[in-house]
Amino acid sequence: MSNDGQRIATLQNVGIEVTVNGQYWKGDVPAEEVLLEFLRNRLRLTGAKRSCESQVCGACTVLVDDCPVSACSYLALEVNEKRIITIEGLASGDRLDPLQAAFVRNVGAQCGFCTPGQIMAAKALLIENPSPTREQVTEWMKGNLCRCGCYSAIAQSVLEAAEQYKRGANWKSKDPACA
Amino acid sequence: MLPPFQVITPKNIHEASVELRRLGEKAVVYAGGAELVLLLRFGMIHPEYLVNVKRTPGLNEIAWNGETVQIGATITHHRLETDPVIREHLPLLAAAESQIANIRVRSQGTLGGNLCFNDPHSDPGTALLVYDTSVRLANEHHRREMPVGEFLVGMYSTALEPGELLENVLIKPLPKGWGTSYLRVHHHQRPTLNVGVAAKIKDGTVEQARLAVGCVGPIPRRLSELEMKIKGLTIDDAKRVISESKSYLYNLLEPVEDILGSVNYKLYMTGVLLNRGLSRASA
Repeated sequence: MSNDGQRIATLQNVGIEVTVNGQYWKGDVPAEEVLLEFLRNRLRLTGAKRSCESQVCGACTVLVDDCPVSACSYLALEVNEKRIITIEGLASGDRLDPLQAAFVRNVGAQCGFCTPGQIMAAKALLIENPSPTREQVTEWMKGNLCRCGCYSAIAQSVLEAAEQYKRGANWKSKDPACA
Repeated sequence: MLPPFQVITPKNIHEASVELRRLGEKAVVYAGGAELVLLLRFGMIHPEYLVNVKRTPGLNEIAWNGETVQIGATITHHRLETDPVIREHLPLLAAAESQIANIRVRSQGTLGGNLCFNDPHSDPGTALLVYDTSVRLANEHHRREMPVGEFLVGMYSTALEPGELLENVLIKPLPKGWGTSYLRVHHHQRPTLNVGVAAKIKDGTVEQARLAVGCVGPIPRRLSELEMKIKGLTIDDAKRVISESKSYLYNLLEPVEDILGSVNYKLYMTGVLLNRGLSRASA
């Protein structure tokens, strides 16, 4: 691990252990490092995007213990002993996750900048509620902005992926309470 | 990038209180960071220490004893919108919690953090005012309780003394036969204004009502006088009285003109939402 993320002004480093996309990571992070810096700068996982930096746009959405958070505004030290999933962790090898496949099929993106966040938000929804209505999809996803305006294709993709998960996949619903 | 700080993780509330008193203005409580991290990023506060109570024992439980629901300060908004106890016994609070910002904020932010920050454009305070709600505060020596309306002192300020923490929120559900409604208008994530309405309606008559309004002025308010005025009226008459109460609302709510709306707009919409809330609560 390099020290790229380190700042001279750092007052305290905190030891964390975390599983990111199934891979174990252990090391020190500055107390002030946010999860997005940790993922992008240390682990070179650049799927989650830096955009509004104020919990509004959702481009940096990742899952912490299956709950969606804005990685830009979440302290890295908070993920100690937790499990993170990013867009890079969804596909198995060459096989896309049903959500990714549905976004491709429905053209649920134009420029694609918001897409990793959209898909991770949708993933969290389908973990908590495997059979959402279109209304529930819209309600859950309204905090993920798409400036290209692909909203209806995004909603359609989420609904189709939900069907696909139910038909095939190794599906496990979870305790809904994000703590 | 955030400015550098140190994090202290106390083992219990006693230790947290001792640390907060020792560090004074150099420290702030961290209870999830949904609001705090943004303040740090935009340079609005410069603490040297964050006292992290996120995993402090005793703050992360919801308990129901048949009379009162007790909510720990670090319970997240998403837990409150989904928890079966909250949905059954405090439906108006569950409704308000489900409308906060977006799912990421609700997964991260906590009820205690929200109340202690006391942003004037906020959802939970208005909902809590409709119920008989008190807050339990603790320092290293003792505990005290006070109604939530006394805790929310002013814009971004609370009754917390130095070294004191919010431990629990204690809420009494409404008796059977009451209907509730929580409504907000918003252009952005935070509400421009919100209302909480609870009413006991019999044969089209308002037997009892509780009205609360938030975001119009510095803090959310219960409209006790207006509640008395509409008592015993038909729903239609009650709505007329509410629509004619602009000057009462003006004096009580101390409306503030801001980026979200003018004083007139906010007062007008307060009447609209109260009336709509009364209809919904009686449905």
